[in-house]
Amino acid sequence: MLLYIHIPFCDSKCSYCSFNSYVDKFHLKKTYMKALYTQLEHELARYEVQGKVIESVFIGGGTPSTVSAELYAPIFELITPFFKDNIEVTSEVNPNSGTIEWMRGLFNLGVNRLSFGVQSFNNEKLKKLARAHNSDQAKSAITNAKKVGFKNISLDIIYATAFESKALLEEDLKIAFTLPINHLSAYALTIEANTAFEHTPEVALEKLERTQWFLQAIKDHGFEQYEISNFGTYKSKHNLGYWEYKDYIGAGAGAVGFLKDTRYYPLTDIEQYIKTPLSINEETLSAEEILSEKIFLGFRSLIGVDKKILSAYQIQRAEILLEEEKLTFLEGKYYNPDYLLSDELALFLDT
Amino acid sequence: MKNIRNFSIIAHIDHGKSTLADRIIQECGSVTDREMGTQMMDTMDIEQERGITIKAQSVRLNYVKDGKPYILNLIDTPGHVDFSYEVSKSLASSDGALLIVDAAQGVEAQTIANVYMALDNNLEILPVINKIDLPAAEPERVAEEIETSIGIDATDALLVSAKSGIGIKDLLDAIVDRVPEPSGDPDKTTKAIIYDSWFDAYLGAVALVRVFDGEIKKGQAIQLMSNKEVHNVLELMYPHPLKRHNTPSIQSGEIGIVVLGVKEVGIVNVGDTMTDAKEPCAESIGDYEPAKPFVFAGMYPIDTDKFEDLREALDKLRLNDSSLSYEPETSLALGFGFRVGFLGMLHMEVVKERLEREFNLDLIATAPSVVYNVYLNDGTLVEVQNPSELPEVNHIERIEEPYVKATVITPSEYLGNVMNLLVAKRGIQQKMDYLNEERVLLEYEVPMNEIVVGFYDTLKSISKGYASFDYDPTEFKIGDLVKLDVLVAGDVVDALSTVVPRTSSEQRGRALVKDMKEIIPRQLFEVAVQAAIGSRVIARETIKSMGKNVTAKCYGGDITRKRKLLEKQKAGKKRMKSIGKVNLPQEAFMSVLKMD
Repeated sequence: MLLYIHIPFCDSKCSYCSFNSYVDKFHLKKTYMKALYTQLEHELARYEVQGKVIESVFIGGGTPSTVSAELYAPIFELITPFFKDNIEVTSEVNPNSGTIEWMRGLFNLGVNRLSFGVQSFNNEKLKKLARAHNSDQAKSAITNAKKVGFKNISLDIIYATAFESKALLEEDLKIAFTLPINHLSAYALTIEANTAFEHTPEVALEKLERTQWFLQAIKDHGFEQYEISNFGTYKSKHNLGYWEYKDYIGAGAGAVGFLKDTRYYPLTDIEQYIKTPLSINEETLSAEEILSEKIFLGFRSLIGVDKKILSAYQIQRAEILLEEEKLTFLEGKYYNPDYLLSDELALFLDT
Repeated sequence: MKNIRNFSIIAHIDHGKSTLADRIIQECGSVTDREMGTQMMDTMDIEQERGITIKAQSVRLNYVKDGKPYILNLIDTPGHVDFSYEVSKSLASSDGALLIVDAAQGVEAQTIANVYMALDNNLEILPVINKIDLPAAEPERVAEEIETSIGIDATDALLVSAKSGIGIKDLLDAIVDRVPEPSGDPDKTTKAIIYDSWFDAYLGAVALVRVFDGEIKKGQAIQLMSNKEVHNVLELMYPHPLKRHNTPSIQSGEIGIVVLGVKEVGIVNVGDTMTDAKEPCAESIGDYEPAKPFVFAGMYPIDTDKFEDLREALDKLRLNDSSLSYEPETSLALGFGFRVGFLGMLHMEVVKERLEREFNLDLIATAPSVVYNVYLNDGTLVEVQNPSELPEVNHIERIEEPYVKATVITPSEYLGNVMNLLVAKRGIQQKMDYLNEERVLLEYEVPMNEIVVGFYDTLKSISKGYASFDYDPTEFKIGDLVKLDVLVAGDVVDALSTVVPRTSSEQRGRALVKDMKEIIPRQLFEVAVQAAIGSRVIARETIKSMGKNVTAKCYGGDITRKRKLLEKQKAGKKRMKSIGKVNLPQEAFMSVLKMD
């Protein structure tokens, strides 16, 4: 079982970000963390959590580093007893708010992996993306994380924007690989509704050859690609858990949780969430929807798709792909060797 | 009978037939101004959208002239050459015809065809020059054109404007004075012609008839002469677009709607004769011939599960359209569907549109084809409606293809363009007449397969819309024809095969694969599109494989969101037909049509 905790506070809003986050609600931090505690208590009971069953925790946002370690302490007190021995506990962190003190505080609470929202080491590109930090801050924050004692460190890079040349991406990778990271997430800029970029869709600019080169360049540094956007010498247990269709608790305003066949959504409005942290919207998935999700998740990662779950027609289609070398087959599972085609492969099975 | 006038209106598209019909109805006070919607006589959505008449309508009107009451029965006719069989039966029910000609545009090809048909039925023809209030109106020139091109006296032509209501009263008076009273013997046994039929959700199959001899009474057992079916008359009505009136009988000379309570498809046929079951008349009126389709196309549901839905939809459409014929057929590429016969291209478009619109079906229509008479070496004749079924070349002794007599009237400044087009379409000139200095009438003999697709559009575009066109099937003639196949990813797609003249086959093959390359989106694999005659590949294009289709974005646990994005894409793919490993969009099947 996985646990996701959402921290909806940010000190600035990035141009591309559509996640649930607020820059003007800092005064609610304390009460929010209390509400989070209330929901977590409730979820642990609802999921019938007993013993050491939580294999991964991920604190995301928003910006988890806008909330002090003291405010996290009660929550860790609540959940730590259910941690498996080799648990992965990740927090997202922004270079500007991820001070040594903050990192040390979380390290002491039991966080053992940090994921830095770097996006680029080029200050111009960072400005265009409306990031609150600069290149030097990012470099020193990651170096500091290592000093604090973190062994598993990841950073995010955004590509396929109108703000970059091949040389810029090359430079970003060069710098990234001088830092003590063992994981990298590379996301293509996607224009979403209700973001600053919504009305300038031209800033998302993808060149297929560039993308192919870029993803290969990351692999050439010795990082294995284990999903369309994720690379590393270490694979995040939390990520893998999602794709393996494990249950996950979703706590906080804007979180998503999953239990058996039902996905649920706590309220996104911070004030509302604080008032009623237990109210959720639920979405029960049909067998067909679950199958569809297992297929596209399997094809966009190294998880693969179990032949046993497919219909006769889907197997017939998969066999065409196998023959055309668009899939491989090993021990009962189909695997996708080119993640860039994953959605098309998933669609192919159903057309 | 002395006070009844049965008349049709014949006209070229856009010459104002429906507007005039509406105006006549209004003048007779049969509908109020308020009830007068747009184009009362065109009731189908598609008719109003396209400004054409597909189903003939009729209306019984009361009119008083010189203090004497008259019954005017207006029998509307379909305004397109595809429906000429229905036109002929409407004309057979009339005693006179209004020939409407646009005062600015003059006589058009279709006008001539319809007038000949009216003359064949011995109708009194009243030339009516419409739109006389247009600035460009030239009624004298048009009257002269009517005389030169058709050879009827136009000195007494009625000058009207249906739109502004000018001359309508005079027109109605002229109908009373000049259209002969109906012929027929009220004392003989019942004899009536069915000139339209349709299916009513409450009444079942109903017939619109003109009674010649005797009368039709409620409760009477009547016989349909072509199939000897006997049914009781449940109800009788006088036709009206808004309010039908029940009547106990329809008398000799009258028109009316006969309700027989028939549920089965295709029993009540246009052109059939209705008579008394106990005392049938000796001979039917004219020759009954079932409507004969000239153009055939495959229709396939994109979703293969919808085959039965398509059958039901076709069955329902046939209730209202007895000219529609269809048989199940199987395509290797498209699965189960129907080979549907149409009266012409417009008919095909209308049927496809109605199936999609009224029955909510997504269909692939294959390129339309004419019927080929294929003589094999052993002397047997095979009628081929589907190009993919053309026998192997080495078995064929000869192929005969249907020809039409094409009539074109064009302003003389486009004569060169029009003649070049007709020659390119393998046409042979039969006749060229100057109607006056500015307009020329051409008659060509042209293979039908050259005009079923795109000809009319091309003619319109090379003549800035001024040339008009009509055709009449004539005979079968030998042709040097070959089957052009299309291979997608190495496999012949049977639904894309066409029959083309050998001389232009290579050029058509090249144009076709080029077109297909533009239409077929990139797939997971490289796809070769080839054109072949027999085993010889004459053209090839390659569609490169797709490089990317994935959203490389962080979704965390919000997998639903990602799934919904994918579902949108899936809905788009559903509009395509998967053939083996390749998804072909609907347009690919129509690309065969655009090979000029």
